[in-house]
Amino acid sequence: MLTRRHFVACAALLAVSGWAGHTFISPAAAQGADQGASAFIQKLGNDAIATFSDKSLSRPQATERFRVLLNAGFDVPYIGRWVLGRYWNSATEPQRAEYQKLFEQMIVNTYAERFVEYSGETFKITGTAPAGEADSMVTTQIVRPSGPPVNVSWRVRKTPTGFKIIDVVVENVSMGVTQRQEFASVVEQNGGRVDALIQALRQKVGQTG
Amino acid sequence: MTESSVVEGCRGAPPRVEPSAKEPSHMKLASLSRSLLRTVTVVALALTATACATNPADPGAKDAAYQVNDPLEIPNRFVFAANEAVDVLALRPAAEVYVGVVPDPVRDAIHNFIDNLMGPLYIANNLLQGNVDGATNATGRFMTNTILGVGGIADVASQAGIPHAPEDFGQTLAVWGLGDGPYLVLPLLGPSNVRDAVGYGVDTVGDPVRIWAYAHHGQGLMYTRAGVGAVDRRSEVLKSVDDLRRNSLDFYATVRSLHQQQRQAEIENRKGPATPDFPDYTSTPKP
Repeated sequence: MLTRRHFVACAALLAVSGWAGHTFISPAAAQGADQGASAFIQKLGNDAIATFSDKSLSRPQATERFRVLLNAGFDVPYIGRWVLGRYWNSATEPQRAEYQKLFEQMIVNTYAERFVEYSGETFKITGTAPAGEADSMVTTQIVRPSGPPVNVSWRVRKTPTGFKIIDVVVENVSMGVTQRQEFASVVEQNGGRVDALIQALRQKVGQTG
Repeated sequence: MTESSVVEGCRGAPPRVEPSAKEPSHMKLASLSRSLLRTVTVVALALTATACATNPADPGAKDAAYQVNDPLEIPNRFVFAANEAVDVLALRPAAEVYVGVVPDPVRDAIHNFIDNLMGPLYIANNLLQGNVDGATNATGRFMTNTILGVGGIADVASQAGIPHAPEDFGQTLAVWGLGDGPYLVLPLLGPSNVRDAVGYGVDTVGDPVRIWAYAHHGQGLMYTRAGVGAVDRRSEVLKSVDDLRRNSLDFYATVRSLHQQQRQAEIENRKGPATPDFPDYTSTPKP
């Protein structure tokens, strides 16, 4: 229910954002950002296809290439932190550091295999739209040799080190949200201890990596 | 400034996190029947409560990123484990055999035929939602596929550009403003919630195939359709589910999250992705 205080707060927020939007973000600038984001996705996709079409790579080599591409295209530390949600605040510095290391390794273990098994998928960019305050959502369609095409959207943020992906949405399912809710469940099942999640990640990474 | 723009503006505001009701941990299997009764009462109460508390303009209710409404997690995990056992022992092997033995075009035809039987329900639910365009589309699909698609075995409509857009009574209830209520894992049917379980019941009662089958003593037909339908749906996600199972730390939580996100998109008939809040952390030191 919308209480009066909420209403006032929202109205104020809206007024400020409306004013800021008119002043600082001209349509041309927004468009420019969108095109940059879409060109970035195009290049990253081309690089990935070029890398994994090369079947002469050994498995460890391909995995290492995947890690390089991952860190070039994604803001992995940002995603790791976002995915941990409110538990980030209760984690100690050493816990955070270990968690971030394990999180990156888990992504590599999970997704490298799918890229290494690359079998002629292609993609095309179907649109770009602004998302949130300053991000762009680049929508693509991945065409598979067999089976219907898959709609994948990439949330791109402009960072000091260039464009980075901060979330991937596959057929309306956000990978970030899914991971966040899964991690939250693991922590909650273990009495709110972040250590339990780190332990589970250690096991997972050790097992497959 | 219009009312709706205020509501839009509020979506960006941080959602309020409801204190989650904890299921008592002393629940034992011995008192299952009593707990079941209690569960039903809790569910009924919760449904009424959410029906009153949730309205479509509530920003918190739409934000899948933060809210997991699962007060019945303990019984849900129990049913989920049972469903997993059925899947591993029967459904997944059946789906693998189905994919291995039945050629692609035949599987497509079976898939299309089963879906086309649901056509009248899609039309009715679109009308109940007041979605005239949707109802027109659904009617067009049903007519085209039944006549040109030879009783529904060919999906001519999709090729002609009429998109496949299933609408069930759970979605209709959602459009009418009913909140989804607690998450439920139904035996054999899998992830759902209180509202969608009610919707499923209504769809089953209103299903023309069921009405016809019962009038003609054709219950066998119903079971066949349910069985083939389950194998057909499972066969389409063989690899994805294997991947998820292997990569999840908590498969139950992953499935719950996937289900809730997809369901929300279906209800809103959303084409684009949802946009949860991604704050800027650069103002605070990074590890």
